[in-house]
Amino acid sequence: MEATKATPVKYDMDVVRWFTIAAVVYLVVGTLIGVYVASELAWPFLNFDIPQITFGRLRPLHTNAVIFAFGGCTLMATGYYMVQRTGATALWSNKLAWFTFWGWNLIIVLAVITLPMGMTSGKEYAELEWPIDILIAIVWLAFGLNHTMTIAIRKTSHIYVANWFTMSMIIMITYLHVVNSMALPVSLTKSYSIYSGVQDAMIQWWWGHNAVGFYLTAGFLGIMYYFVPKQAGRPVFSYRLSVLHFWCLSFGYVWLGAHHLQYTALPDWTGSLGAGISLAMIIPSWGGAMNGMMTLSGAWDRLRTDYVLRFLVVSLAFYAMSTFEGPVMSIKTVNALSHYTDWTVGHVHSGALGWVAMVSMGAIYHMVKKLWNTEMYSDSLVNVHFWLATIGAVTYIVAMWVSGIMQGLMWRDYDEYGTLTYTFVESVSAMHPYYAMRAIGGAIYNLGAWVMLFNVVMTVRQASAARGIKAVAAKA
Amino acid sequence: MTRNDWLGVFFAVACFIGMVYVYFMVFRPANKDKFESQRDLVLDDDDPIRMGEKR
Repeated sequence: MEATKATPVKYDMDVVRWFTIAAVVYLVVGTLIGVYVASELAWPFLNFDIPQITFGRLRPLHTNAVIFAFGGCTLMATGYYMVQRTGATALWSNKLAWFTFWGWNLIIVLAVITLPMGMTSGKEYAELEWPIDILIAIVWLAFGLNHTMTIAIRKTSHIYVANWFTMSMIIMITYLHVVNSMALPVSLTKSYSIYSGVQDAMIQWWWGHNAVGFYLTAGFLGIMYYFVPKQAGRPVFSYRLSVLHFWCLSFGYVWLGAHHLQYTALPDWTGSLGAGISLAMIIPSWGGAMNGMMTLSGAWDRLRTDYVLRFLVVSLAFYAMSTFEGPVMSIKTVNALSHYTDWTVGHVHSGALGWVAMVSMGAIYHMVKKLWNTEMYSDSLVNVHFWLATIGAVTYIVAMWVSGIMQGLMWRDYDEYGTLTYTFVESVSAMHPYYAMRAIGGAIYNLGAWVMLFNVVMTVRQASAARGIKAVAAKA
Repeated sequence: MTRNDWLGVFFAVACFIGMVYVYFMVFRPANKDKFESQRDLVLDDDDPIRMGEKR
């Protein structure tokens, strides 16, 4: 436990430090696997005819690494950090926090072993097999219990809005994960979903979109509502708007999943309902994005010198863009063009690379300085990372937008006799330059992650060395 | 209407009413100060974390 200078509050920050370092390592690994699978699509010989490294097996490893390893460690680091700082209290149970750290990392190790071996339930973003699913539920509930009980023992009267977002994520992800993962095991490494046909599809995308809505949005909005005001040194622009943002998101997001299943066996009205609510969600999403950006009102000049703040503000721009693009893509007319194309991949990555990862990077840089009570080893490298991340993300997204729209237009084009103008393989061939461009964009983004890892490691070493000198001086 | 249909209707209407209540509660002028007084909470904890201290 550690004390602050002015108050007797003692915090449990060691577990936060470990989660923070783990998040940066997983960012490097997860994006590196992403670059490799993107390269396999552009240059298929990279499969080397080895089943364990084919696209089909490495792709779920990439998504699990970036979403659950990098994203999960970031959410737990920031969750434990924010709940202590805003509640002026230590964690309810430090031991339980360490259990979540080792439990979560064990899950990641199991994913690294099982997914390349082809052990998968075949459910997108929930590929891990049933024993690992049970372990996820146990560790996640431990995180939820610790977070909730820490709120219960807080010393402040109010529960800050960032903690509400984290709690919303914890409750909904528990519910979604348990229902979606219900399966009949036939062996230790194979199970079949208890749902079938259209119900299976509906449950899958109820989970799939709400994993986006509550894990990748609500959880990271909690980060935004704490770290943007902290880094800017100014209170959030409107607390009322943040409350409205929270409740609208919590009420609304659960209805959206069906928009992934337009023009399928699902009843037509469910897809239309999903699209309708998606469009309605633009209001709270943009309200939240504006709330974050307007927090800088009167202090915009700080963006010139504060590179960490740049990450946070640019992430909000990507958040606003993604939460507009998504609802537009859910409209049936647009969906008829965009669905099953690379446009969807571009949309997902504008949210993932631009919003989720960049708000995480901003929060991690902020936390590293606070947790090790030091300055960054190199502010210039933070700036280099910012530009690598921005250029990499934009290159990736633009490649997929162009590729996706071209794909959609080629697939639907027909001549005066009603025959399709292009064969499927012609559309694949036309995608090649954009697949290469996507791999390059990803590589630039991954290079930025390496820069971050180096800078964070050197900052920690610098802080440790400074502490050693102080200790020697104190003894002398 | 099946039981599932009625449940769906109930939850849809309940969510709608909940949303209306939230808008009313948040934008009611009388509640403005109550909410906005929490804005500074996040800045009040700005104390450096010292490392390496024993319990």
